[in-house]
Parts: sequence; C-alpha cells; structure tokens
Amino acid sequence: MAKRNLRAQTRNPGHWFLLLVLPLVDGLLFGSIGVAFGEGEGPVRLLVTGIMLFHLIWQLTLAGSLGLLEEVWTRNIMNLIATPLTEREFMVSLGVVGLIRTVISVTVISLVGLAFYAVAPDSAGWVLVPSAAILMAFGWVVTLFVVGLTLQYGDSAEVFSWGTLVLLMPLSGFFYPVDSLPPALAAVAQVIPLTHVFEAVRVGLETSRVDWAQLGVAAIGTLVLLGAATWFVDRQLRRFRSEGWVSRFT
Amino acid sequence: MAIPEHASYANSDDSGAHRHETAAMSSHPERPVLKAVDLRKRFGSTQAVDGISIEIRPGERVGIVGPNGAGKTTTLLMLMGAIEPDEGSIDLVGHRLPAGRSAAMERVGFAAGYLPLPDRLTVMETLELFATLYGVEAPKDRAEEVLGELGIARLADQRVESLSSGQGTLVGFAKAVIHHPELIVLDEPTASLDPDVAMRVRDRLEHMNAEHRSTLLLTSHDMREVERLTTRVIFLRAGTVIADGPPASVVADAGHPDLETMFLAEAARVRQDAV
Repeated sequence: MAKRNLRAQTRNPGHWFLLLVLPLVDGLLFGSIGVAFGEGEGPVRLLVTGIMLFHLIWQLTLAGSLGLLEEVWTRNIMNLIATPLTEREFMVSLGVVGLIRTVISVTVISLVGLAFYAVAPDSAGWVLVPSAAILMAFGWVVTLFVVGLTLQYGDSAEVFSWGTLVLLMPLSGFFYPVDSLPPALAAVAQVIPLTHVFEAVRVGLETSRVDWAQLGVAAIGTLVLLGAATWFVDRQLRRFRSEGWVSRFT
Repeated sequence: MAIPEHASYANSDDSGAHRHETAAMSSHPERPVLKAVDLRKRFGSTQAVDGISIEIRPGERVGIVGPNGAGKTTTLLMLMGAIEPDEGSIDLVGHRLPAGRSAAMERVGFAAGYLPLPDRLTVMETLELFATLYGVEAPKDRAEEVLGELGIARLADQRVESLSSGQGTLVGFAKAVIHHPELIVLDEPTASLDPDVAMRVRDRLEHMNAEHRSTLLLTSHDMREVERLTTRVIFLRAGTVIADGPPASVVADAGHPDLETMFLAEAARVRQDAV
C-alpha cells in the first residue's frame, strides 16, 4: 500500500507542487522576511527553522489525510475493504509515505536556508531531535482526526487536511513567542503542545540549551491528544461499519 | 455442483424472518462457504434487512436479486464485512465476521461493475497491488497469467483511467480472481460490457467453477445474466427472502414465465406499496 500511495502521489503534479515548490517558496519567503525585518541573524534562523519544522508536521499530515482521500476520490475504499488489508496496515502505509514526504520537504527547506541565508538546519542544536519526534507525533494526531472525519464526511473533510495546521500555526508560536498574541489567544496557545515545542526550539536557538521542562509539557500534551485521536478513529471505524458509511464511497 | 432440492416462494402475506432455509447440500460434508443467520439491519427508520439467512455451499453459483430497496446491496455489504449487522451472524469461508474479516478476505474475491479501479496506476501495477494484498506468491507472474486468460494482456502497461468501461470491468474481474478465491462475489459484473466481453467473463466464471469449484455469489439487475450464470436464485423483497432455489423453479412457483417477468412484477408491487 505504501508503494501504491507513493505512485499515486508522485504521478499527481499537484503533489509535487506541495512537496517541492511550496517548501522552496516558504523557505525563501520566511528567510527573506527575517532578513528584511530582523536585526542580525537571530530572526532569520528563527523563521527558517520555524518553517522547516512546520513542514515537518504539515507534510506528514498531508500524506496521511491525502492518502485516504486518494482512495475516496478514486472510489477504491470498497475494493480495499474486500482484501485482507487491515486498518492498521493501511495507517502504517500512510505513515511511511508521510515520513518520506517529510524528509523531502525538510531537505528542500534546509538547502534553501543554507544556500541563501547561511542558516544550518541544526541551528537550534540537540533540542531539534526531541522536538522533531514530538512534532511528528502531533502530526499523527492531526492525521488521525482528519482520517476520522473523512470516514464520516468523505471528501468534504478535505479542508481539514489543509486547514488544521494553518489554524494552529498562529497560535503555536512557530515564528514568535505567544506573548505577542492578544491575551485571550495567548492563553489558548498555552494548551497547545506545539507552543511548548517551539518555545523549546527558541531557547535552543538563543542559548543552545535544551529546555526539558517545555518539551516535557509538549510530550505529555501530545500523548494525551494521541490517545484522544486514537479513540476517535476507533470510534469512527466502528461507526463506519455499524452505520454503513461505506455506501457513501461506492 | 450442488443444486438445491427444491425451490420455495413465499406469498405476500408472509412477514418477519426468512422461513425458507435452503434445502440443498445437507448431504455435503464440507462446511458452507458462506453462512449467514437471521441478519437484520436498520438505518434510521428503514429496516433494510429483516431476518435474512443464507447458506451457500462450495461450487454453488448463487444470484441475489430483487427490485431497488429490496436489501441486496446492504446484504452483500454485510456478507463482505463492510457493514455490521444489528443482529445475526455471518461465517465467511470458515471465519466469523467481523473479527475474522481479514483472514476471510484472503479467500474471497470481489468486483463491482460500478466501482472504478484506483487511479494513476497501470493495469499491471493494479493487479500486482491486489495480488500482493491477497498474499499471492509471485504477484507479477500471476497478474500476467490472469490477463492472458482474459485476453487482455495488451492492456498491461495502460493506465487504468485510460481504459474503456468494458476494459475496466474486465480488469476489475481479473483483480477479483487473481488469488484463486474460494468465493467470488460480483456486484453487477457485466454492466457496461459488450456481449463478447460479457461472454468471456461468463466463460471464465464457469471454468473456475468447474475446474476449481469456486463458488459464485452475484447480484445483478440483468435477469437473463442471472439465469445464464447461476444455479440458484435468492429473491429479496423489503429485506426478506421471498424465494430461494433454481431459477426455473423459482419462476414456476411464482407463476411467471421467466425471471425478468418476475422481477418486473415485484418492482411494480414495490411501487404500488410505496404509493
């Protein structure tokens, strides 16, 4: 199934745009904003690192949600149900493709950062390792929620595959401390695990120190959300069978 | 090939659960390929399936027919494990659903005339994909073999979205039989096929039934196709079985000259009941 997903995605020009062009543009955009409006190399490093990490999570989410949507669009769901393929195996295949997409897009942005702004992808230091792990787990949270919604609403759920992270982006401190937000939104931001990851990354960029407290909060929050997302998908799969949602896909 | 000892036809006053167990095959020691007992399914205020029991023995060729709204699709989807019944049990090739769905599907093939194949793959890639999912050893070799058997080897490198509807149906059929399934389930199998291609599909089904004792379960709105392909017809109305037996016996008991006339009469009755 991973091979099937890869073939379907690589043979779709739109996917190449998302995989190569968008990271390239985003790298240039945010790097240039950092140069234009920041002082010194700090802002550039923050913005390029932030957009690189955003793509790490976004591409993973896209691969997962678009992988299922591909089967919805091609009305292949019933064909797959009529095989020994289990839901778990299908989700693993989405994860594999997501990892591949993530590696490619992060590489593109890293090269842009290095080539044009002299920003190394490991500027933040060792904090990037646990941060990337937490971000990928969070990406999986979003994927599971979108998969659950797709099972119920079909391709109407597509907007969530694009929009969920875009919604979270301003609230998560990807590019600025959440104290910059209006107070009410800053309070909301504190309960989003991404906020704490990016706070830790900022500390890493500024001091090369690993803020384990922030990462700990982020990890616990992400685990809780992962549990909720897993419960949600299980429930949606049960409802898929009990309420006959398969008819929507045939 | 096992043939039911008799057909039965329920009159319109019958209600509730299916009362006509299949008469056939009690002498066969083999386990049924499919055994569904007292299936019921409700969607909102609609009782889509209301007490259907079906037992299919190895080698049988069974057609499930009925007018729109009779419960054919819901029944079929339940038998495939895609919909969970509210009540009742299903044993599919020896596996109790839903827990045994994945294992059961290793020995079940499925194709629907109205379902396209996944986009952006060639015919060969599609067949290799499904052969792999079904656990076929040497998927490429088997894909080439089945394409040759159906006379469509020339389509191997074509993208599936470029196929005609008839070609797509043939490839879908190839997908369904690529793993030599014990049970072949076909939903509207020869819809959009020209007579020549439809004949090829029928020939292959008959060959598989004769040589490998593959069991066939199909639904179709083409009553002539059902009469040609099946040795047993299960006629549904309003979620219940109203007749079950060889096509000739079923129509004779109902007082109709053929299956199509019987179907039209049932469809008219459904329309009248709805008014």
